Amino acid sequence: MNARPDVIPPQPWAFPEPTRHVLGNGISLVAYDIPGQYVVSVRTVLPLPLSAEPREVEGIAAITSRLLDEGTARHTSEEFAELLERKGIALGAGMTDSGLSVDLDVPKRRLSEALDLLRQTLADPVFPQAEVTRHLKTRLAEIEQERAMAPHRAAREFIATFFDGSDRASRPSAGTAESVSAITREAIVDFHRRLIGPQGMTVVIAGDLSGLDVGALADEQLGGWQSQAQERVEGSAEPPRRSPEARRIVLVDRPGSVQSELSVGCAGPDRRVEGGWAAYPVLAFVLGGSPSARVDAVLREEKGYTYGIRSGFRPRRRGGLFLTTGSVRADSTVESVRLLLEILESGREGFAEDEVRAGVDFISKTAPGRFATADAVADEAATLALDGLTTEFTTGNLTAMQDLDSDALVRAYSRWADGEWTVVVVGDASLYAEQLKELGRGDVTVVPN
Amino acid sequence: MPLDYPIHEKTLANGLRVVVSPDTSVPNVTVNLWVNVGSRHESPGRTGFAHLFEHLMFQGSRNVASGEHFARLMAEGGRLNATTWFDRTNYFETVPRGAYELALWMEADRHGHLLDAVNQENLDNQRDVVKEEKRQRYDNVPYGHALIETYAAVFPPEHPYHHPTIGSMEDLDAASVEDVHAFFRRFYGPNNTVLTLVGDLTPEEGFAAAERYFGPLPASAEPPRGNVDQLGPLTEPVRVERVEDVPNDRLHVAFRMPVDNTEEYFAASLALDVIGGLGTSRLVQRLVRREQVANAVQAHSMGFVDGVSLGFIVLDIADGQDPDEVESRAVEELERFAAEGPTAVEMESALAQAERSWLHALASQEERADAISQHVLLHDDLQFINTYLDRLTAITAAQVQAAAERWLQPHSRAVVAHLAEAEEEAA
Repeated sequence: MNARPDVIPPQPWAFPEPTRHVLGNGISLVAYDIPGQYVVSVRTVLPLPLSAEPREVEGIAAITSRLLDEGTARHTSEEFAELLERKGIALGAGMTDSGLSVDLDVPKRRLSEALDLLRQTLADPVFPQAEVTRHLKTRLAEIEQERAMAPHRAAREFIATFFDGSDRASRPSAGTAESVSAITREAIVDFHRRLIGPQGMTVVIAGDLSGLDVGALADEQLGGWQSQAQERVEGSAEPPRRSPEARRIVLVDRPGSVQSELSVGCAGPDRRVEGGWAAYPVLAFVLGGSPSARVDAVLREEKGYTYGIRSGFRPRRRGGLFLTTGSVRADSTVESVRLLLEILESGREGFAEDEVRAGVDFISKTAPGRFATADAVADEAATLALDGLTTEFTTGNLTAMQDLDSDALVRAYSRWADGEWTVVVVGDASLYAEQLKELGRGDVTVVPN
Repeated sequence: MPLDYPIHEKTLANGLRVVVSPDTSVPNVTVNLWVNVGSRHESPGRTGFAHLFEHLMFQGSRNVASGEHFARLMAEGGRLNATTWFDRTNYFETVPRGAYELALWMEADRHGHLLDAVNQENLDNQRDVVKEEKRQRYDNVPYGHALIETYAAVFPPEHPYHHPTIGSMEDLDAASVEDVHAFFRRFYGPNNTVLTLVGDLTPEEGFAAAERYFGPLPASAEPPRGNVDQLGPLTEPVRVERVEDVPNDRLHVAFRMPVDNTEEYFAASLALDVIGGLGTSRLVQRLVRREQVANAVQAHSMGFVDGVSLGFIVLDIADGQDPDEVESRAVEELERFAAEGPTAVEMESALAQAERSWLHALASQEERADAISQHVLLHDDLQFINTYLDRLTAITAAQVQAAAERWLQPHSRAVVAHLAEAEEEAA
C-alpha cells in the first residue's frame, strides 16, 4: 500500500464574469459564456412579492405562471407544446416568495427560436378557459398529494406555526384549496396584465455562446415587448412577522406512521444580514450538511435513527428561516427531538478549528464544480437577480469565508438560534404527545393530517 | 451531431479497466467506479445485500477510519456518494485536481482492504440506517411500493429483477459479518470493476495514478456469470390491486422491454416516449388535455442487461374518474400506436427531447464519467457517450412501430393499481 498522498490546495476561484446588456424595453440581460456547454440555459426572473396577490385568490401568481405556455395569441396550447417539443426545448415556470421565474433549456442552435417562444409565453398568453379549469383542478389534486407526503405536510405546518397568521408567509405560496377554488380566468388575465411585464425583469443566458451575438439576439426576440399596464409592487421592507406562539411543538397526527417527519426551525438571515452571509452556508454544513456533520454523526452514524437529516438557511428577500428537516424511526421520535435541539444549540458554544476549516473548504472548494454547468450558473444568477443581487455576491462570500473562525460563526449563529424553536412532527401523535411535552420546549398541539 | 469527448482506455494487469477523459474546463477530477454487482446478483433470502454492503464501504477500511471517507474528501472540496441499482454499484467523487490522488488512494483502500474494518457494530448501525432509508423512500410515502410491486408483477419469481434493490428487511436482519466477508470476496476486486477519471488530467497522469493505487490489488473477484437470456413480453395481462390511503387512484402500466444498448431497446423507448413520455405524448394529449380524466401521465424506460428491460406508464387518475375506464382508453392508444407507429412530428419531437436531455446529462463531468463507466462495465462500449445520439437518430419510424407491436401491446401489460380507500373506510 502506498503512503496516503498529500493534497495540493486549489487556486482561489471566482464566479464566471458575465456580459451585461439592457434590451430596448429595459429588460436586463446577463450572459455567461461557458465553452463546451452545448445546452443553453435561459432564466427569466421578475421580482414580485406574493403580497401582490389578492387575499381571496392566493395562488393566482403560481397558476398564472403555469398557464403562460398553455395557449398564446398565435398558438393553441397543443400547438405550443408541440413547438417546444420539436425544438428540444424544456420550459418551466413557477413562483416563489421573491417572484416569477420562467426557465428554459435548449440546444444552442435553437436558442433564437426558443427566445421567440419565451417572449410569446410572457407577452401573449391568452389563458383559454379550458386550460384554466384544468390547471385549477390539477393544483387542487396537487394540494391533496402534498398533504399525503410527510415532508410537504411538515413544511406547510411549519410556516403556519412559525409565521403570524396575518402574514402571507404563513400560507402556501401556491395557494390553498379554498383560495385556488376562487380563482377565475378574469382574475388571471387581470393579474397578468397588471403585474407581468418587462420592467424590472432580468434574463440570464448561460452556455456555450461562441459565435452568437447574444445581446442582439435577445434584443430582437425579447426587447420589443412592451406593457403599458405593468404596475410595480414593492415588497415589504420588513421580514415576515413571527407568530407570538411560534415556540411550541405541533404534532400532525398520522396514526400508525412508521416514521416521524421532523421540521425544526427558527428565524434566519437574509442575504443582506449584518456581519455578512458567508458564515451561514458554513454553519449549515457543520451542523447538518453531511453524514459527518454534528446532527448525523449522532442521529445517523451513532444511533441509526435516520437515513439523514439536513440543515439549511433559507433566505427570503427580507428575513429568512433556519430549518432542519428529516425523518426518524417512529419509536425514536422523542429522543430524536431532544438530541436534535441539543445538537443545534451546541452551535452557540463554539466550533472546533477543524470543523470550521472543513466547512469553509467544502463550500469554497466545491464551488468550481457546483457552478461548472450552464444550468447551475444560470440558476445562481437568477436566484440572486430576484433578490436584486449579482453573482459578485457569490464570489464575495467565497472570499469572506476564508477569514471565518469559531468566534465569527458563533456570533453569526447566535443572532438567530436563541433556543426558541418551532418544532413540527408529522407522525403518530397518540404515542408521543405526552413525552414531547416533558421536553419543556413549549406547548404541544395536536392537529389532524 | 457527432460528439467527440476524448476517451482513453487501459486495462491494468489485475483486470481493472481504466478510462480517462480529459476536460480542463474546470480544475476538478471526477473519480467514478462501477462494480459489477447489484441486486440482480442476489439470491432469494439474501436480498438487499448489495445495497447494505455499499453503506459499509463508508464505514472504514484498512487505513481509513469509519466515516473518514465522507469527512476527509468533503473537507478537501469533494462531492461524493455511492448508489446501488439492479445491475451494479457505483462509487464516485468529484474533487479539486490536487486531491484526486487522495481520492484514488481512499478508493483503493476500501475496494481492496475493506474487510479489515468491518465489524458487528458497523453492520448493526448501517442495517438500522438502511431500514430508515426504506421507510423514508418506500413505506412512509403514498404509492411508495408501486415500483416494487411493478417489478414483482412484470418479472417472474427468482428472475434477477423480480425483487427491488432495497431488498427485504428480514433478509438484512439475517445478514452476518461472515456474509459480508463472503460477498466482498466474491464480487469486489479490480477484475470486476471499471474506473473512470474525467477532468483536469492527462491520460498518462490518470493511468499512472490508477496503476499506483489500484495496481497492487490482486484480481480477487470471482469471474462474473454471463447475462441471462432475453425474456419475451408477458403473454397475458397481469393485475395487482392495492386499496390504500392515497389521495387519488394511480395506475402503473408496465411492460417487459428488450435489453439495453440495442436498436430494439432504443426503438421501444422512443415508442414509450411518444405514447406517454413527452409533453405532447398521445396519452397526455388525450387523457390530460382533452378528456381531462387524468391529472398527469408519465412514462419511463429503465434499461437493464440481464435479459430484459422495463418500461412503464404512470396514469394519475383525476378525481371522480373511473380508473378502469381511463385504463381502457390508454389501452386503445396502445393498440393504435402498435398498429400505426409514430408520425413524423412525433419522431422529431422524441429525438429532439432525447438530444437535449443527453447533451444536458453530458454537460457535467460527474454524469459523463458515470455514463462512461456504465457502458464500459455493462456493454464493453467505450465510445457510447459519443455515438449514442447518432445511433438513436438512425432509428426509423418503422423500427419504433415494430418495437411497440412486439413489446408494448395491451395484452403484454402488467397493471399495478393503487386505489384510494372510500371515504367511510378511511375514517
